Formats: sequence, structure tokens, C-alpha cells
Amino acid sequence: MAEQAQVRAPHVQHHFASSDQQFDSAKMGMWVFLFTEIAFFGGLFVAYIIFRAWNPELFTLAATQLSTPLGATNTLVLIASSLTVALAIRAIQTDKKRQSIILLLSTVGLAMVFMIIKAFEYAEKFAKGIAPGAYYTYEGIAHESASVFFSIYYMMTGLHALHVVIGIGILLWIAWKVHRNHFSSEYYTPVEISGLYWHLVDVIWIFLFPLLYLIE
Amino acid sequence: MATTATNGNALKIQQFSSSEEFSHNFLKAKPGIWNWMTTVDHKKIGLMYLASVVFFFFVGGMLAITLRLELLSPAQNFMDADTYNRIFTLHGAVMVFLFIIPSIPAALGNFLLPMMIGAKDVAFPRLNLASFYIYSIGALFTLISTGLNPIDTGWTFYTPYSTSTGTAVIWMTLGVFVMGFSSILTGLNFIVTLHKLRAPGLSWGKLPLFCWSIYATSIIQVLATPVLAITLLLLIMERALGIGIFDPAMGGDPVLYQHFFWFYSHPAVYIMIVPAFGIISELIATFSKKTIFGYWPIALSSLAIAFIGSLVWGHHMFVAGQSELAVVVFSFLTFFVGIPTGIKILNWVATMYRGSILLASPMLYALYFLFLFTIGGVTGIMLGAIGVNVHLHDTYYVVAHFHYVMMGGTVFAFLGGLHFWWPKITGKMYNEFWAKVAGVILFFGFNLTFLPQFIMGSQGMPRRYYSYIEQFQSMHVYSTYGSWVLLLGFLIIGAYLLHSMFRGEKATSNPWNARSLDWMTSSPPDEHNFPYSPVVIHGPYDYHKPESEFLLGIAGSDHHEEITVGTETKVKQ
Amino acid sequence: MSSHSHHIIPFRTLVATGLALTVLTILTVGVYYIDFPDPINIIVALSIAVVKATLVGAIFMGLYWDDKFNTLILLMAFLFFFVFVGITLLDTMFRDPSIIVY
Repeated sequence: MAEQAQVRAPHVQHHFASSDQQFDSAKMGMWVFLFTEIAFFGGLFVAYIIFRAWNPELFTLAATQLSTPLGATNTLVLIASSLTVALAIRAIQTDKKRQSIILLLSTVGLAMVFMIIKAFEYAEKFAKGIAPGAYYTYEGIAHESASVFFSIYYMMTGLHALHVVIGIGILLWIAWKVHRNHFSSEYYTPVEISGLYWHLVDVIWIFLFPLLYLIE
Repeated sequence: MATTATNGNALKIQQFSSSEEFSHNFLKAKPGIWNWMTTVDHKKIGLMYLASVVFFFFVGGMLAITLRLELLSPAQNFMDADTYNRIFTLHGAVMVFLFIIPSIPAALGNFLLPMMIGAKDVAFPRLNLASFYIYSIGALFTLISTGLNPIDTGWTFYTPYSTSTGTAVIWMTLGVFVMGFSSILTGLNFIVTLHKLRAPGLSWGKLPLFCWSIYATSIIQVLATPVLAITLLLLIMERALGIGIFDPAMGGDPVLYQHFFWFYSHPAVYIMIVPAFGIISELIATFSKKTIFGYWPIALSSLAIAFIGSLVWGHHMFVAGQSELAVVVFSFLTFFVGIPTGIKILNWVATMYRGSILLASPMLYALYFLFLFTIGGVTGIMLGAIGVNVHLHDTYYVVAHFHYVMMGGTVFAFLGGLHFWWPKITGKMYNEFWAKVAGVILFFGFNLTFLPQFIMGSQGMPRRYYSYIEQFQSMHVYSTYGSWVLLLGFLIIGAYLLHSMFRGEKATSNPWNARSLDWMTSSPPDEHNFPYSPVVIHGPYDYHKPESEFLLGIAGSDHHEEITVGTETKVKQ
Repeated sequence: MSSHSHHIIPFRTLVATGLALTVLTILTVGVYYIDFPDPINIIVALSIAVVKATLVGAIFMGLYWDDKFNTLILLMAFLFFFVFVGITLLDTMFRDPSIIVY
């Protein structure tokens, strides 16, 4: 142990004693951040639950406007992207940089597929007049507060989509840094914690999908 | 206890002495504006926060003086109702979001936390700097809002008024939204720092109580602030797009906004007061020269406050139209907050019992705190009772209650902490005589300002009105006079602290004979806090042990290894 | 010292988890087309979601091999979410019926 600490690896910042301490700190920091993300989305889930408890019939009616096949496809796309990012971490842990880059880029590709499908869904709704809030003009749902369901829908999926877009940016940046040989089996902390972020985006969608699309 | 010990790898623990003539302190290292602005040193970032919060305290204070001036006589004096609404909103928002939330954790906490645990910096130094700039951007947004059309909603931004008023609500809430992220990131940083960067030997049971209180505060920041973020985002969307979640006209519910808002903002009052508890623990133990009474009860009651404090938000909404069941549950839960708080007060008083108390100015602030905070706390319990609350809701009684807690509690503790650590931060002593004079003036002025507010509140004087019936005039006059006394007290403090900065006597490394690690380095500290890697064998309040046994460490500063010290084995990094 | 956090997850475990998640997604959509009475359908859909989230958390995010404190952080997040929902529902579900809810 002592010999290890004598030679400081270049990636260890001055205030950390060892590479492991730095890695564990970064990982714990990411988990605390994920905690705040859950609390952030949690607020929207609370609004969802309360409005659904108030208007169960509205949610059944309004959910018919959402396309279950598209939602299911997007769920599968995100699960696949989670798998590719987990494999990308595995690749960098075993020093397979090229494989890691390919897997990271496939994750980005899948994320883009998700966004494109989401865009089609949004476009189809806007065309019908199902727009958020005051711009809601759709007449097809016989309920006085129909727009509130879609407000919640747009807030939840919109914020989730924003997280996907941020994730695309982060993963591209990580792929670039792998390409520039910043990471190896010795030091891959940013790859791993970006992966954690991406998995959380997946987990949130795993709950959004049944709650929004699968209401009967 | 031997002062040197070795482990299998022959790492020597040595005794050091903190240099009194140290020329490499952090203030001198890397001077220049640009180096300050891009620094990742937690001490410099703490000082930048300190300067910011002092500035905003001044701004918020001047707004308060203006309000009190208007209230000198019953009718309209020099501002109309609309202006008054804007000014009290700004006073509240500036004091809450720009001063008091970052005051102790981000300013003093940033400076002291890594030193207290023998670390060289917080876990994520760059994130720490980012937090400061995020805070600055948030402050800029609130400034833009004030420049455009100052808001008049009160600092709580209640819907539906906040979604219909013509003032610049979006900019203001965006500013608060952004500052929330700063608060979250600071909390996150501190939590990880406390978990992962403690010096060898520094177990959780040897952590100074200030660290425990910062830990509890950070948990609340991380837990509650995201909910504020989503609330404000929904509010902004409500204004921008009319999403209707809080708007009864569109099927929404305004009381839901209050649930969302207070789910953050009630825990937020613990973000404001719990760090103050930490300072008081340090002050009372240090100036009583006694091991603190009830270390674990004090440490864990901070966590208990963090937890119970997250369950009681609805007591702000007793007359808002929530269900009676919820009212009863919230009232019941509210009383529980009194328990951990009472535990703390008991332990502080027990620590002082038979201590050799030195009545230096920081200790005097701690005593003022005990007196004022107890009044604030007990009136809070009264307000938690449903029947009393209905009578006193939205009166000056509530105003007086939270000023006793927030100003009598947090601000006095902040001043106590500022005086206590001033020698460590600046390396200079302040004038003790004037410090005592200013403290007495503040204490007198504070009570003159807010005690009459309890009385007129219980008689029915409602809050947030720019005029009132003549019956209340004498009380308002006392209160306004009190605000001038307070102003005088703060001006004296500003004067002698400024004087001390330039002309003050040189401070020694440990002027108060404290025992925690933050004092075991030169004043001001080294750029990397300690010229060696500290090793801890005693608790932070072991005043019965000689100071030299607290100055242990490993030479050089890059080794943290598993070390066996005497019989105590700990140290996992 | 903290080799537990450097666990390299076997390739087969990852792929198997991905497949399990796919199957569960198909299952939850399938169940949607079966008409369960009202509370049961929500319970079934959410139970599947919880299982999926647990798989992602335990395997993909590595919590199974990781420092248990990180799991605690995640569980605390859900605990506070339930506190928030639970207590708020005490209000919204028990309002005085004479006050009109819009």
C-alpha cells in the first residue's frame, strides 16, 4: 500500500490522498446528485399523483391520446442505450478504448432515436391542438381540466427530454475524451459517473412510461 | 499518549508546532483579482461568499430600515402601498435567499469545514467555485427583476397572485431557481467532503459539532432545494404558458403551490438555523473550557431536526384551506421539532455549568443567542398550536417570532462565529472593547425592535400593511427606534472590523485555546491549510489534554495511510 | 482499499439484464391490454416498473457491488418522496366537501 501512495498518478488531484479516495468521492457525489434529481422529478410525480387522485376519469380519457406503441418503443430504445453505456464502462475498465467509443456513440445514437420519436409524438399532438397550458385547443376530451393532464405530461416528458439532451452532450464529450486517451483502466471515473446519470434518465422513463401511457 | 508512533510501514507521526511567523498564508499566495476569481481554494471561495453575504445583509437591512421608517406613523408617510409591498418583498427575498441561506454554510462553512477535518480542500473544489458563480448569476437575475419591475408578491411568491401580477416575477423566481442550484451543489460538496476526506483518526465521533450541523444542513439543502426548483419551474411555466397546475380557473389548485413551496421553505428555515447551532456548540465549549456535555445528543439532534423538519411544512398553511386532518397532523408533528432543539439548549447550558467561562465577545454572542433563540423557539411552538395559530396567523406576532429565530438566532450566531474565527481568517485581532459595546447595543436594539411586535401582533396588528390604526402607533414607534439602534450597532461592528483588517494586532494561531483542527495551523492558514497531514487522536473538546497532543501529523502532505496510533486504530481513506 | 467499487461487471450479466428489461417491458405492455379491475392494473404496472428500476440500479448502476451507503442515498430519495406524497395526500384527499374543489 505504501509504495502505491509514493507515486501519485497524474489524474489524482492535490487534495486527495489516493486514486481510490478520489474515485469513491466522485461516485458518492454523483449519487447525491442523483438523489437531488429524484427529488426534482419527485415534485412532478407528486403533482401527477394528486391530480390523478382527484380526476381518475380524466387520466383514463386523456391517456388514450398517447401512443402506447411509440412509448413502448422508446422504452426499449432507452433500455438498449443503458445497456450500451454499461458495456462502454466495462470496455474502458478493460482498456478496450475503441470498443468503448463505439458503445458510447451507439448510446448517443439511441438517445437521438428516442428524441426523434419524442419529436414525432409532440408534433402529432401539437397538430391536434394538444399544446401545453393556455395554448390547449383540443376538443376531443370531454373533461373541463383536460389541459392539466397534458400540462403534467409536457412538464414530465419535457424535463426528461431535456435530461436526455444533456446526456447526449455529456456522452459525446466523454467519447471525445476517451478518443484523446484521457481514460484507461487506471482512471475512468468520468465515464462511470456519466453512466450513472444516464441510467437514472432511463429509470425515470421506466416510471413515466406506465404512468402516462399505460392508464386504462 | 506517545506523540510518535509507527505502523508496519514505518510512517512517522510527529508533533508539529503551528508557526506564528508564517509568510506563506493563503491570503498572500497567488494575489491579484484574476487569481482570486478563478481560485479553487475553499478559503478564498468562503471569503468571496462572506463578502457577498455581508453586502446583501447591508442591502436587506437598509430596506428594513426604510420599511420601519414608513411605519413610524399610522398614515402614509413617504411611500404608497404599492412601493411598500415591493420593498418588503425585496427585504424578505434578499435576506432569505441572498443572505441567510448562504451565510453560515457557504461562507464560514466553506472556510472552516475542510480545516476542521484536516483536509486540504473540499471534495470538489471546481464545483465549489462553480457554486459561487451560480449564486452570483442568481443574484444578477434578482437584480434584473428589481431593475425591470420589482415584485410585490412577498418572498413566498404565492399563486394565483404571483401568476397574475404585472411585476417581474419570472426574473425573480429564475434568480431564486438558479441560486437553489448553488445551494444544492454546496450541500453535495460538503456531504462528500465529510464522508471521504476526514483526516486519519478523525472518526465521526471526533468531528467538531460545527461539522455535524453543516452535515445536517447539507442534507436538507440536497433534499429540499430540488423541490423548490421544480416548484419555481412550475410557477414560471404557469406564468409563461398558463399550464394551470396551480390555477383554480384551469382546474389547478393554489394550495398545492403552498405545499410545494413549503416542502422546501420550511426545511429551509432549518438550513438557516442549524448551522447557527453548530457555531454555538463551538463557542460554548471553547469559552467554557470544558468537554461539551452530550456530544452525541447535540450531533444527532441536528440530524433529527433535518428529518422532523421535513414533515411539518403544512403548519404555514393552517388557514389556507387544507383539510382539517392535515392541519391536525401537521400541528402534532410540529411539536416534535421542539424536542431536538430543547436537547441542544439543555446540553449547551449543561456545558456551561461549572465551566471556567471566559466572557469574550464571541461567548457573549452565544449567550445572546441562547436568550433570543429560546424566545423565538418557544413562540414557534405556540404558533404550532392550531387555535393560537388561527388567531395569530399573518400578524406581527409571526413576524417577531421568525425575526427572533432568524436574526436573534442565526445572525447573532453568525456574528459570534465571525468574531470567533476572525483571527483565524484574517490573522488580526479586533478591538474587544468595541466588540462588547456593539454586542450590547445590538442586543438592546434587537429587543427594542421586535419585542413590541409580539405585543402588537397578539393584539391583532396584521403583517405586510403600510398603514395601521392609531392604537398600534406607540409599539411601531418603539420598533422603529429599535431599528435605528440596530443600525448603529452594525455600523460599529463594520468600523472596528475594518480597522482590525488594516491596523489590527497580529493574532496568534490559537488565541482562544481551542482544541479543534481549524486552530492547529497558523493564522491565516497555509495555502493548503496544514503544512503536514494532520492525524487526530483526541476529541475536539478534550480541554483536559495539552494542546501539543492536537498538533500531530505526518510530515509532507501527500500521505494518508493506515496508521495505528496507540490503541486506536481507525483511518480509512 | 475500496476495490469493491472497481468491480468489472461480467459481460453476460449485463446482456442478461438488458434482455430481462426488454422482456419486462413487453410484459408490462401486454398486461396493459388485459383488463384488470382498477387498483390492480396500477399495482401490476408499477410493480413491473419497480422491478425494472431495481435491475437497472443493482446491475447497470452497480449498486449490488458498490458501497452500501450509495444504496442508502437512493432509498432515502424514495423515502422522502413518499413522505412528500403521503402527507400532501392527507390534505388533498380529505378536504372539506363543502368547499368546492375545481
